[in-house]
Amino acid sequence: MGAFEWIRLIAGSAFLIGGLVIFFTELFGIFHFHYVLNRMHAAAMGDTLGIASCLIGLIIFSGLNFTSLKLLLIIIFLWFASPVSSHVLARLEVATNENLEAHCRVYTDLATLEDAVVEEPSQAKAAPGAGSDLPAQEQEQNTKGGALS
Amino acid sequence: MLYHYIYITVLIILAVMIFACLIRAVRGPRIADRLVAVNMIGTMVMVMIAVLALMLDEGYLVDVCLVYAMISFLAVVILSKVYIGIYEENRHSANGPDHEDKGGMSDGSF
Repeated sequence: MGAFEWIRLIAGSAFLIGGLVIFFTELFGIFHFHYVLNRMHAAAMGDTLGIASCLIGLIIFSGLNFTSLKLLLIIIFLWFASPVSSHVLARLEVATNENLEAHCRVYTDLATLEDAVVEEPSQAKAAPGAGSDLPAQEQEQNTKGGALS
Repeated sequence: MLYHYIYITVLIILAVMIFACLIRAVRGPRIADRLVAVNMIGTMVMVMIAVLALMLDEGYLVDVCLVYAMISFLAVVILSKVYIGIYEENRHSANGPDHEDKGGMSDGSF
């Protein structure tokens, strides 16, 4: 084997082993987390990075021909398909879970979501002093409105 | 011959990982758990088919892998829609026929 063959073998093996390590990390995350929306985070990693790394290793092994072009097509297709399937699975979980508030924070009203997210840290910070709560929030909202307009 | 051993090793490791995914699919407390595990199994089977295509030197197995990717994606999307529909139907039948539905899930939109 010449030097080029050795370089090809080592590079392809490195990509394949990297892909397998990412698959193992995905598997560890699936068993480590306790809720579906957390597990989905670990599972989406292998769909994009794991299979991309493995198939790039196989492309390096295969050389430049139509087989490697099709493998590249599989990678590109999964980059589009994996976020969509994760989104649909999260939709399924949110739609069918009765007590979602036990696992994560839920904002039911989309119109006031931004205010609710902004106001929560200030409320937690100003909880002991009840007297200075309202003016501080009014002042903060006034400055924010002035900055926006 | 060295490439052959590399492919065999990768296939064995992926097979062990697929069995671990199967444990998750059986144990998963919710339906979304099982669907995530099935999606993972599909991804690993895709890598196995691609490795087999190079190991056996059969180019058409890569086409099989591409079709498998599309069908796996379609299966996850359609099973999610079917389970959302089953949930809505059960809720309607539990609450009576004159129940007004306020959720945004039943209009067929993602």
